[in-house]
Amino acid sequence: MFLRTTVLLIVLVGVPRASIMAADPPKITPASPDSPGFREFSERLQEYLKLQKSVPRLRTTKKREEIIARRQALAQKIRETRANAKQGDIFTPAASDEFRRVIRSVFQGPKGASVRKTIRQGEPLQDRHLTINGDYPERLPVTTVPPTLLLRLPQLPSEVAYRIVGHDFVLQDIEARVVVDFIPGALP
Amino acid sequence: MRTIRRRTFLLAALLNRYAWSLRAQDVILPNKSGSVRFAAIGDMGTGEPLQYEVARRMLQFHQQFPFTFVLALGDNIYGGKSPAELQKKFEIPYKPLLDAGVQFYAVLGNHDDSNERFYKFFNMNGQQYYSYKKNNVHFFALDSNYLDPKQLMWLEKELAAAGTNDWKICYFHHPLYSSGAFHGSSAELRTVLEPLFLKYGVQVVFAGHEHVYERVKPQKGIYYFTEGASGQLRANNLKKTNLTAVGFDKDHSFLTVEISGDDLFFQAVSRTGMTVDSGTIRRAGAVQAAA
Repeated sequence: MFLRTTVLLIVLVGVPRASIMAADPPKITPASPDSPGFREFSERLQEYLKLQKSVPRLRTTKKREEIIARRQALAQKIRETRANAKQGDIFTPAASDEFRRVIRSVFQGPKGASVRKTIRQGEPLQDRHLTINGDYPERLPVTTVPPTLLLRLPQLPSEVAYRIVGHDFVLQDIEARVVVDFIPGALP
Repeated sequence: MRTIRRRTFLLAALLNRYAWSLRAQDVILPNKSGSVRFAAIGDMGTGEPLQYEVARRMLQFHQQFPFTFVLALGDNIYGGKSPAELQKKFEIPYKPLLDAGVQFYAVLGNHDDSNERFYKFFNMNGQQYYSYKKNNVHFFALDSNYLDPKQLMWLEKELAAAGTNDWKICYFHHPLYSSGAFHGSSAELRTVLEPLFLKYGVQVVFAGHEHVYERVKPQKGIYYFTEGASGQLRANNLKKTNLTAVGFDKDHSFLTVEISGDDLFFQAVSRTGMTVDSGTIRRAGAVQAAA
């Protein structure tokens, strides 16, 4: 289409960076811990992480079998310990309200269009039926979580991550690939 | 009839062999002593024959241009991630390169399992994002699936610590600028990453996700490459935009790079061994980081 086989010489001249400087990096202001909903979410999450930490950490290995064994052991432990877990245990009603409010404001804000585009570009998952403690299927792609949204939400430790599945907002244990909790229909 | 077929087959095999060896001579990169040499591949982990063909071409190229490591730009393993599938989609096609001591430094794509960061062949050491240095080149490997404040703060700290005298190269899965018709530019990711790249003098960025090869015209002084056709391909998927410097969407491809002093040489090669793009980026002097 735009095939070119000749050798090009591109000179990166010392352009003064100040002259081409875009806006400063976005100011990182994590969500207010004072919000009662987010505070409740953080407390419930801490309880969950105690359970996660009771299983030995995975180490780097050439053996894929070891990675799978660790994932399965962790998932099994989570399912046993949280056998009675239900939707809303971590995303409590107060937390869900706060998450929904922030998500709505981001989608309706000035960057709403680009936030939607980010999700579309990440090959969003549709019509998946989520269950607490259920597997997040490994064959399915991960939808990009818009950074504009992540800037407004409580930060998470590395063991868990926010995910988007269709219109649902999900908390996933990323090592166990288990759905920890979700807010149905949180995304417009 | 059978004899003719056999002769035709033998002739085709001979020509094919000749073509492969002939094209192996087409290494344009200067192969300078002490240079940093690497390849970049993206969206490769299909386990399909065309991924294997690209891998063989890379090996052939490696014999002429002994790159020591490979940037794996995400979607390293599509579909199932069982041990057998990891073998089929990574260990077998790249075995000759691995045996030759070539290391792979991966980032996660949207089709990857985040537990791939524990897979030793990907050199991620359990991290979703990480950095490393090769001679005078700093590499920053990011997780563009999940650019949370923690990762952005880490990146800013790492970029600042890298100083101003060396090359700074970032790579991740989603392209900030792309003429691909399927996804296009990741404009929102750009709003959080580009200001950091500019502030701290990143010169070159590599990405995948779009299943084509594209070199974008410098954007605010930064060079962007997309190489997402090392296993997958979206033929004829590049739109004509004013972003593209050179694009190739007719076949699978991989990219090779050599950095020597202030010069970065690149050569993009198709599955069949054709050079589809090449050139030099010259870094003129140390870039001053803005206050």
